[in-house]
Order: sequence, then C-alpha cells, then structure tokens
Amino acid sequence: MPQLPHMPAFLRRYGTLIGFLAIVLFFWTQRPQTFMTLPNWVNITRQMSILGVVAFTMTIVMVTGDFDLSVGAMASLVGIVAGSAFQSGAGVGEAVALALLVGLAGGALNGLLVAGVGISAFVATLGTLTVFRGLALYTSGGASIYGRVIPAEFSSFGRGAIQLGELRIPNLTLLAALVLALVFVILRFTIVGRRLYAIGGNREAARFGGIRIARLRMLSFVISGLGAAVAGLMLFSRLSTAHPTQGEGLMLQAIAAVFLGMTMNEEAQPNVLGTLVGVLILGVLANGLTQMQIDTYIQQILTGLIIILAVTLSSLSQRGLRAPEWLRRLLSERRTT
Amino acid sequence: MHLKIRRASKAYAGVPALIDAALDLYGGEVLGLVGENGAGKSTLIKLLAGLEAPDSLEARLNGARVTIPDSAAARRLGLRFIHQELAIVPALTVAENLFLNNPLPRLGGVFVNRAALYTLADEALRRLGIEHIDLRQRAALLSPGDAMLVKIASAFIGADEQQPLIYIMDEPSAALNQAEAELLYAVIERLRARGCALLVVTHRLHELFRIAQRVTVMRDGRVVTTQKITETSAEALIQAMTGANASQLPATEQVKTVPPAERPLLRVRGLRTDALVSASFELRAGEIVGVAGLAGAGRSQLLGALMGIDKRRAGGIELASEALQNPAPADCWARGIAYLPEERRSQGLLLGGRVSHNMTLPHLSRFRRWLAMMDRRAEDRRSQQLSHSVQLRATGIQQRLRELSGGNQQKVMFARAILAKPRLVLLDEPTRGVDVGAKRDIYRLIRELAADGAGILLVSSELDELLALCGRILIMRERRLVDEVPTADLDERALLSLMFAGAA
Repeated sequence: MPQLPHMPAFLRRYGTLIGFLAIVLFFWTQRPQTFMTLPNWVNITRQMSILGVVAFTMTIVMVTGDFDLSVGAMASLVGIVAGSAFQSGAGVGEAVALALLVGLAGGALNGLLVAGVGISAFVATLGTLTVFRGLALYTSGGASIYGRVIPAEFSSFGRGAIQLGELRIPNLTLLAALVLALVFVILRFTIVGRRLYAIGGNREAARFGGIRIARLRMLSFVISGLGAAVAGLMLFSRLSTAHPTQGEGLMLQAIAAVFLGMTMNEEAQPNVLGTLVGVLILGVLANGLTQMQIDTYIQQILTGLIIILAVTLSSLSQRGLRAPEWLRRLLSERRTT
Repeated sequence: MHLKIRRASKAYAGVPALIDAALDLYGGEVLGLVGENGAGKSTLIKLLAGLEAPDSLEARLNGARVTIPDSAAARRLGLRFIHQELAIVPALTVAENLFLNNPLPRLGGVFVNRAALYTLADEALRRLGIEHIDLRQRAALLSPGDAMLVKIASAFIGADEQQPLIYIMDEPSAALNQAEAELLYAVIERLRARGCALLVVTHRLHELFRIAQRVTVMRDGRVVTTQKITETSAEALIQAMTGANASQLPATEQVKTVPPAERPLLRVRGLRTDALVSASFELRAGEIVGVAGLAGAGRSQLLGALMGIDKRRAGGIELASEALQNPAPADCWARGIAYLPEERRSQGLLLGGRVSHNMTLPHLSRFRRWLAMMDRRAEDRRSQQLSHSVQLRATGIQQRLRELSGGNQQKVMFARAILAKPRLVLLDEPTRGVDVGAKRDIYRLIRELAADGAGILLVSSELDELLALCGRILIMRERRLVDEVPTADLDERALLSLMFAGAA
C-alpha cells in the first residue's frame, strides 16, 4: 500500500536544526577565511539582536494562538517618540521611559481590541499597525531624526560592548540574551506560561477549565508591545537615527522565526528556543549571503523559500497528517522501480 | 454481498492497536461490534475507511481482492461511514453539511445547484424521519444530538435505492436520546431489509440485541469471538469484552438517601440566562441529583449557567450560603465547583497536552513556588496519585491526551475534578462513549465523591444510569426546570414520560 515512509522522530524534531547546520557548513566552505570566525559570529549575534527581541516576545503572543502584526510599526514609532523627546530637551532616562510607555500603551490597545472587544488579532493589529505608522510619519513629518540632538551616551550604547577576557560582547547581544532568558523562564517555568500554552492549545477548554483568558491574552500583547519598544530603541541607538519606517521589516521576519521554531516542537507549539534557532537561521543567511556578495533582493527570495521549505517538511511529517496522494504515489513508484 | 476482512493489523509507534483481526459483513445483516475503549474497534474502522494505512490487511468484496488506499477508494467500493467524532462545520448550513463528503449538485458544471441541494438534503433527512431540523439553519445552532442526526443523514445522500451499500457506524447513538435513537434503529432496519450490510459499533448492549443479527467482540486489539445474537447474552458478551466475570460489573446498588442537612449546599433561585428560561432547586452535600430531559431541553445550559459560562440574566445562586455574583468559570473552580463538560474533546481537554497538565489545569495556583514558578515536582507527584485513584490506563503522566482512549480521557477529567476536593461537581454525560470497564470505574468515582461530602449534579441521557446513581432527578423541558422526582418510585418508562410530557 503506498504510503509516505514515516520520517524518523529524530529528523522530524531536529530537521530544522540540521538544516541550520547545513547552512552554516555551506557558508563555511564558501567563505573559509571570514565566516567561521569568532568576530564574525559576534557580529551575527549583534545583527540579529533586534530581530531577536521582537521574535522572542512575539513567541508569547503566538503561544496563545494570536499574532501581533503591529510590532514593526511600533518599533519605528518608538524611535520617533524617543527622538522627538530628545529634540525637546529630554534626557536619556526620560526619553527611554516615554518610549517604553508608548510600547506598553500600544500593546494594551491591541490586547483590548483582541481580548476585550473580540476582534481577530489579525485584523486588530493590522489596524493598529497602520495607526502606529501614521503616527510615526505625522510626528516626524516623514523625516529622520539624527545628529547632535541625540545624546552621545544614548547612541554609544548601541555600538558599545563589554570586554570579557578576549571577547567583546556587544551590549545589544547582551540585551537580547536577557530578553531571551526572561521569555524562556516565563514560558517554561511559570504558572502564567502554562496557562498561555493552555489557551493556545484549546481556548474553550482553557476557559471552562478556569483560565482567565482575556487577562492573559491582554498580557501577552502588552509584552509584545514592550518588546517592540525595546527593539525600536535598540535600532535607534544602533543607527543613531530614527526614521519613521525603519522597523518595518521586523514583523514578517519575527513571525517567520517563530514559525521556524514551531517546526522543532513535536506538538508544533511556539517555543522560544526554537524561535532562537529561527532567528539564527535568518541572521546567518543574511550575514553569509552578504559575504558572498549576493544581491539583497535575491537574499529575500532565498529566505522566503527556506521558510516555506522548513514549514512544509515539518507539516508533512507531523503525526496524523499524511502526504497528498500524488506525492505518496510518486514516492512509492520511486521505491518500486 | 460479502465483504471479507482478514489479517487486519496496525501498530502505532510500535504499540499494536489491532492484531490480525478478521471480520465478515453480509448483505441484509447487521453485525454488532463491541469491546472496551482501546480494544481496536475504531482502528479497524479507520483502516476500512482508508484513513490510516494498515500494517497488513486482506480485503475481498464478493471474492475479488480489493485495496483501500484512501477514503475515495472506500467510497468507490460502496462503503459509507459514520465516524465517532462529530465532523460538522459550524459555519455552513445543515444542508451544506449533509453534502460535506458528497459531490454537490452542479449548475453548468461550476455553480452549486441550490434548489437541488435542498431537495436532496430534505430527502435525506426525511428518509431518517427527521422533520424538526431546518435545512437552512447554520450547523452551529444544532444541539449535539441533532448534529449527530445530520451527520448520520449525510451517509444517505445520493444513496441509490436500488444498489445496496455497506454502512459502517461508529457509536452512532452515543449522542442521541432515546427518541432520536429510535429513529436511527428504524433507518438501520430499513437499510438491512433493502440488502445493505451494516457494521455498528456500540457500547449499549440493549441496542445491540435490538438491531444486530451477529456480534463480534474485540479485546486488546484482537477479535475474541463472533456469535449469532440469539446464541449469546449480555453477561456472556461483557465477560468476553472485559475478560472478567460479569459479577464484577456495576450493580444497580440501592441509592443512599441523604439525611436533610440543616442548610443546602447549593441553592438556586429563578436562574435565567439567554439559553435557560428558569431553574430553581436545592442540592445537599453528599447527594447525587440527576438532570433528565430530551436533547435541547436545556440540561447542559443549566450546568453552563451554574459554572458562569453563560451570562446570568436573573436569579441567584448560593453555594454554602454564600452568593455567587456573576462568576467566571475561574471563580467557580476557586470556590470548589468542578465541571466536566459534555464535549470533553473540544470543551474539556488539551488533546496535545500531557496527562499531568490536563489534570492540574484549573488548579495551577496550588502549585505555586517563589515568583509564580510552577512546582513541577509537586505537580507530577499529585498527578501520579490521581492517575492511581482514577485507575488511569496510560503509559505515564507525560503521555499526550490524544493518545488515550475515550474512557481514559474521561478519567483524566475526573482526576482534574477531584484534585482539589470539590464541594460541588457538575457532570455532563460523564459516561458517553466510554466502555463498560471505564463506566464501572466512573460510577465508583461518582459514589466516592458523594460519600466524601461533595454535592453532585449529573446530566445523563442514559436513564438506567440516572436511576441507578441518583436519589432525585430534576426534569427539564423546553429550557425550564419543570419537575423534581425521587427515584425510589420511578422506572425508565415513567421517567421517559416525564421527559416527554407536554412536548407530545
């Protein structure tokens, strides 16, 4: 009887990780001098730190079965808010506090629309995405904020690093690692984490089973808003420039990273360590392809194809799901001939 | 017509679910298939339906060798299935649901021929003798019983009156009340008379003796015996199913009457929600009170109102003399109310989750350590204890719920209910789709809970169960609680007529 042979459980669970190692190996052989060096890897972690913060906090939202499409626009808006604060003479502390407050308020708005009013997360955050982008463009007049008005200690944070023996660990890498650790502990070890997974597993059963769904969904959007705000500040500090659309690429990449991470879980649940691998895949691809001087547009095409491939393979091998008839026929013919 | 199945085997992840099973279906005959949950009945049906690939299977239809690689092939062979799980799309109309597994009538090859759709759908329902379901209504509005009837009717869409088919039904009557089940029996008899072959899986033995000519018993993945129905008895079948002596089975014990306490545990006055017109009653600690009614009478809605699932419009609820003011389900659990919903798979369980996680879900704050961390060792320990007290059959507390049989899934729900020593337990069809052995364990658990001083409200469509377990039965009709009767002077016939009174 034709049937897709069951992929070994090992391959199902670690396929994406193996793919990641293959990508690393490929770049290593292509650019033996530069790719597999400590400075380059430190560089990769810094390049992916901003995406990492957004993706890690996005993981929490996706654990409950929701999405937050507004994170990129929020990151841009937060840069403009902090920049405008600097322009009107605020100090670093005040500007950062204001920026985080905006992230918190934006997240709370998303949570209110989704968990309170009951709009689907897709529609609600698509709406707030547009609002946040409009706010950023309006406040800034469409122009970038840069130059002397930005305090030196703010922009030096994004370029700074901590010397640890031989190693210079960038501040941004450290910050992303801190967020990663926080999200990991929340999801894996706390009661809240368990409840978030229950909501994502079966919303109605979670409610009937005594979980306060609205509150927790609200909380997850607030966390994601805060994550976007932190990422926006990191981006602003790193570039010493706040442009009203500079965070836009983050949202799709963050969601892609969570999806890549879900392929590494036997129940296909979002999990933050998986998200980390997803972020690493995206970061290594960008770094390696740039080193090979491949056009950034081509890079986008390749990245998209790799995401589709990983998710396809993992859904094919998931328990209970069988390959489509034509594929099974194809495979069984191959085996017999 | 003769469908001959031999050497049917299937293992999941190395664990055999079906071992060398053999089965014969003949035209003009109903074969009953019985066995405890996990005996391999559903697996066998999935192989026949082409939903799972067998490890080995030899099938012959009228002597010719056939294979069933997918559900389309099963359909071509003339096999029609009514599966255990409700496959209803809530957003579609009843008529559209009837055509889910069937080609829609077309207009010009592209458009759906609505007129023909409704005519054919109407015909299919009429054939079952169903007249109370509106074809244009969204399936979301159907009660579970009506949804099951719609699903059953869908197997008869496009059935050629001349050409007899093979019908395979997995617990078709599980969600039906007595009146609806009668409709089903009539249809089965009509199909049989027309020369169709039928395979009916059931947990209701009295049903088996009504409709089947032969019966096949399965246990632990094997076919144990196949007999003519006239040559066997319920006791013999139970013994074959369980491998145990029939005398160990649930006896209808004498119901204990609880001495009236000074104050009732639960006092409900004029309760009303959008789905419930009115209910007033009292419940004492240690008492098991049944709730009887036809499908759609509002039994589940009564529990939903008590649990804070539906918003209360009027009336009052007092638990141990304390008023419950519009609580959320979370508040109810915290106050000591435990709830087992009717649809355990969609409303109760995290099917992808572990046994332990499902047991502790409403009680997570009891396992709090510093900084709201989970005390996972305490959780595991408690889950182990509970698995033991509900006699759970699983590979361990880490097993995923999806992999457990229906009866064991329900035992996990009971473990959840008893974790925090509840004061009030709301049970909605606790033994539906559960095998004889698990049923016995569940009855024992219910009695133990009551003996421990919990008040129990039990909704059930199985009248013998209500009569055997409860001291009093609340009667519901048309979303109202209309009557309350002690079971001492009640039999099934009398109870049934109370449920129907006024409706006829």
